[in-house]
Amino acid sequence: MVAVRSGSGETRRLPGVEGVWVFVAADMVFFALLFVSFMLGRQEATAVFEASRQTLDVNFGGINTLILLTSSWCVVLAVEAVKRNALDQVPRLIAGAFLLGVAFMVSKALEYGGKIKAGISMLSNDFYMYYFTLTGIHLLHVFAGNILLIVLWNKARARQFSADRCVVLECGATYWHMVDLLWIVLFPLLYLLR
Amino acid sequence: MSTSTPKTDYSTWKLLAWTGPVFFIGFFVMWGLLADNFPPMAASTTAQDMWQHYKDLQTEIMVGMSVCMVLGSCYMTFGAAVSRVMRRIEGPEGMLANVEMMGATITYCPIVVACGIWLTCALQIDRLSPDMVQTMYYLAWMIIDLAYMVTSWQIIAAAVVFLRDKREKKLVPAWVSWWGFVTVASFFPVSLIPFFKTGPFAFHGMFNFWIAFPTWYVWIVSMSIFIIKAVSRIEIEDGAAQPKEVPVRGGAPLATR
Amino acid sequence: MIRHVTTLVWLFLMLATIATTWWLSKDGFSPRVGTVAIFAIAAFKVRLVLLYFMELRTAPLPWRLIFEAWVLLATAAIVGIYLSTPPVASA
Repeated sequence: MVAVRSGSGETRRLPGVEGVWVFVAADMVFFALLFVSFMLGRQEATAVFEASRQTLDVNFGGINTLILLTSSWCVVLAVEAVKRNALDQVPRLIAGAFLLGVAFMVSKALEYGGKIKAGISMLSNDFYMYYFTLTGIHLLHVFAGNILLIVLWNKARARQFSADRCVVLECGATYWHMVDLLWIVLFPLLYLLR
Repeated sequence: MSTSTPKTDYSTWKLLAWTGPVFFIGFFVMWGLLADNFPPMAASTTAQDMWQHYKDLQTEIMVGMSVCMVLGSCYMTFGAAVSRVMRRIEGPEGMLANVEMMGATITYCPIVVACGIWLTCALQIDRLSPDMVQTMYYLAWMIIDLAYMVTSWQIIAAAVVFLRDKREKKLVPAWVSWWGFVTVASFFPVSLIPFFKTGPFAFHGMFNFWIAFPTWYVWIVSMSIFIIKAVSRIEIEDGAAQPKEVPVRGGAPLATR
Repeated sequence: MIRHVTTLVWLFLMLATIATTWWLSKDGFSPRVGTVAIFAIAAFKVRLVLLYFMELRTAPLPWRLIFEAWVLLATAAIVGIYLSTPPVASA
């Protein structure tokens, strides 16, 4: 926990522990490099990328964005509830975030299933390589996040969080928001950029 | 306490800790520079060009790889030094110190096998067909890269234990542990290398070679540095050596804590 | 009060997503205009998540700047490469 006094007198504080932010920053840099790599790949084969992009279902991408945003919001509400010591609400909010995370995975499974049934895989062309690998790596993050949310849910039910004991919850929240944030960029990159 | 238990051999411990730098410097020079692996020959290279590469660099690759096969073992000895520092934190019953040492030791296996294959490829170049050279070149890459999980266990075990260090100033700073988690996360996409000869997920590509490998390398370098420091700090904590300067501001020296 | 703010942020993020997904991406907009607008909105959304959900608004300034720089650089790189790529000839 880092807390320094800002000029205006309010306490400036980084949620969770610094290490999580190191992890999140590094992960985001990896993704940014992959975004650039995708854009450079697209430059080489714009027609193939555009034709392949049009086979993606925007509805899946859009709904998945709404799912993750709402899941993130549940976690925000959970952190705020802990800080107000409204501890009864916390397990429910985390459970909500988790169920939405599962919904994201189910929706992704349906989407992948449709593509595979249509004979499309990550080996089909460079666009699908990026589509499957970038969304796949992101999906691994969602999967890890869901496990984290189960852990947080258990801790919340055991009343292990309170206004002055919420570092673990904040770490989990920071990670989960990063997963959300990366999808906010990934979605337009793969589905909408024409 | 020191009367009833056998004395800790700090000099051996320090020696083992210093094998970390021997590993990462030796590998950088012999594998990277001498054997021309910065960047490595691309997966998309034709069999004929691969053959020519081995023909042209036969001596360099033979020297580089045979030295690496020897130096690679320093990853094991370095792992043993790390494991001992971990034991000081998690106690004699701790399991993660064992996982770390096993992880480091087994990490040497794919290294020695892969370097052996590249070495043989150079050694036998005049008798090998281009297709055979290509197959052997791929074989070594698949083995050395896809063994990442055993190294991941090593890194995770170290990270978890060092984060649990209750010292006011941890033996290994938290950011090194978190960088360990970054390293492990960057390893998973390496599973994609069999499927691509070009692009970011080929073994010579952006992700595998320019992200996952350097991330691990940074971990090895920083872990080595802090393990070397940690052994000296433990020696002072044990009262077996005097601090060079008083390390604690305005308080009792560490040795008396 | 804080609850109020983050809920408003969430509502805005949802509406912005709906607008980009089912409106800006349609053929009524030229691809260039639509795409640049979509990424401007995406960058703004990411920034909202960073500042309000991840609480960087009240974090020590260097941390906030690192992440704001990420948004700026990532968006600039994507949009820059996009604009320097000749558009696809529509079939």
